[in-house]
Amino acid sequence: MPALETTALTRRFGDLVAVDALDLTVEEGEVFGFLGPNGAGKSTTINVLLGFLDPSDGSATVLGHDATRESRAVRQRTGLLPEGFGVYENLTGREHVRSAIETKGVDDDPDALIDRVGLDPDDARRAAGDYSKGMQQRLALAIALVGDPDLLILDEPSSGLDPKGAKLLRNIVREEADRGATVFFSSHVLGQVEQVCDRVGIMHDGRMTAVDTIDNLRDRIDAESVIDAEVESIPDTDPITAVDGVRDVTVQAGSLRIACTRPSAKMPALRVLDDATIVTDITIEDASLEALFEEYTENGGDGADADQPAQGAAPTAGGDAA
Amino acid sequence: MSLYTVARDDFTNARRSYIVLGVVGILTAMVALIVAMDADHHPDPYRALFDVSFFLFLTFPIVIAPLTYLSIAGDRDTGVVKYALGLPNTRAEYVFGKLVSRLGVALAAVLVAMVVAFVVAVPLYENAPSVERFAKFTGVTLLFAFSFVGVYVAFSAVTESRSRAMLGVFGAYFFLVPFWFGFFPTVNLPNLVSMAGDLLGVTVSESTQDLIRALSPATAYLSATEIVYTGVLDQYDQIAMNFTYEGSPLDRQLWFNLAVMAVWGVGSLLVGFLSFRRSELG
Repeated sequence: MPALETTALTRRFGDLVAVDALDLTVEEGEVFGFLGPNGAGKSTTINVLLGFLDPSDGSATVLGHDATRESRAVRQRTGLLPEGFGVYENLTGREHVRSAIETKGVDDDPDALIDRVGLDPDDARRAAGDYSKGMQQRLALAIALVGDPDLLILDEPSSGLDPKGAKLLRNIVREEADRGATVFFSSHVLGQVEQVCDRVGIMHDGRMTAVDTIDNLRDRIDAESVIDAEVESIPDTDPITAVDGVRDVTVQAGSLRIACTRPSAKMPALRVLDDATIVTDITIEDASLEALFEEYTENGGDGADADQPAQGAAPTAGGDAA
Repeated sequence: MSLYTVARDDFTNARRSYIVLGVVGILTAMVALIVAMDADHHPDPYRALFDVSFFLFLTFPIVIAPLTYLSIAGDRDTGVVKYALGLPNTRAEYVFGKLVSRLGVALAAVLVAMVVAFVVAVPLYENAPSVERFAKFTGVTLLFAFSFVGVYVAFSAVTESRSRAMLGVFGAYFFLVPFWFGFFPTVNLPNLVSMAGDLLGVTVSESTQDLIRALSPATAYLSATEIVYTGVLDQYDQIAMNFTYEGSPLDRQLWFNLAVMAVWGVGSLLVGFLSFRRSELG
């Protein structure tokens, strides 16, 4: 049984189609990265999964329960870090965690949860209304972890977290996955999900433009790397451009950027450059998932068939990889 | 258990914001002051209750407005609703948990105010205060508090933002109290009813007007306080004027007045809950 499944899920707000016939399956025990720029429909999807919003069409099943009609059963087994989460101003962080434990009917130790998310015990006894955004996110994470949920739904969990907090979050996600929990991790920043997710789905304009493992996604576009070479004088770039596998050469102040479409093109390109001028330093950047992310989202936004990934990759409709 | 948790969290949050202290304090101070000042003019404490009833009729719905109007709309505004309903609470547990907390404060305010008023009355009045009269007065006032807390929490459940909830609650106050009772010159319910009658070519009798007027929870409250003065209605002109009438019209029956208050409270809560149960929290 999949942990989470949507079938032709559609949500409209007036004329705006926020989620457009979304087919998505997340298997039990999987860490799924739900990616997309702001306004792509990620939070709307999550709100439907939790019963906060009703679908206009289609359906969503979470942990075997209908998301709309059996929302309480869903929430009993789900840990949620929602977008737009607010706290009781005058309750302490610890009191929030304690109430969550009570409501779920479990016997977790609130202090252990607070410690796990790296919230200072002194802070946990202060009014949550005075918390910084990062502290609030940690508190929300502690609440999400109450009762060892079968499914964790984390909506932009890294927002407001410092690098240390983001790392802690990744570790917790891994620990939860090791325990057997399914993690549904939404973010607009790919870097935050690529290190922890088994698969990612990229959403744009309410549609899923790609669903696959990160490695496969990388392969789907021509894995590009860029050589950034500092040179004493700028040579003629035509011979470099002529090297097989070099896509483009651009000149920036005192340096050249050579974009290669395959790894084996790098050395020949560098040899040609070395013959033409004195190279003082080089750095090589691998194919960035950010670039890939932009590729999927921008092309989706340019009116291309949103189901077709960019640049000659094997087409994958929203849900078929699942 | 989750209704209890919602109510406890909400109450603790309110208590620490001093709104609870404010509502209880203001009400107690005002009621005690009226009772203390009246001692100079009348020998009987129940005469002061009569003045207190008019004070409460006009101002209690205003005093409890800040206590209630944000109960649910405020949570939607700040995102606390995502905390409470991200947990396995049902919409019913959430709404009624909120109600229990806010209603608890309003009822406690009435109880504290009346106990203090009684204690103040003991040394100040020539005749000792009657526990029975004070208890009856308190009972009727508790129901009055319930009716308005119900209406206000319902408005808070129906609206999505602080500003609309505030507008709704103050609108409800002006509609149910001054407008319905006829305090406003020209634009008030009794006048509108006569006008409607004229347009239809019928005369609206005085008794019909009285009945319509008694359908507001605030007016019903004033009428219901008649039980406080059993046996002493003719002792003071002011009281006699308000409670002496021919026959026994429906709008003067205690059960009817109590029912009007209860129906306003329960009915609006039902509407508010049904609306919130269907509402979207995206």
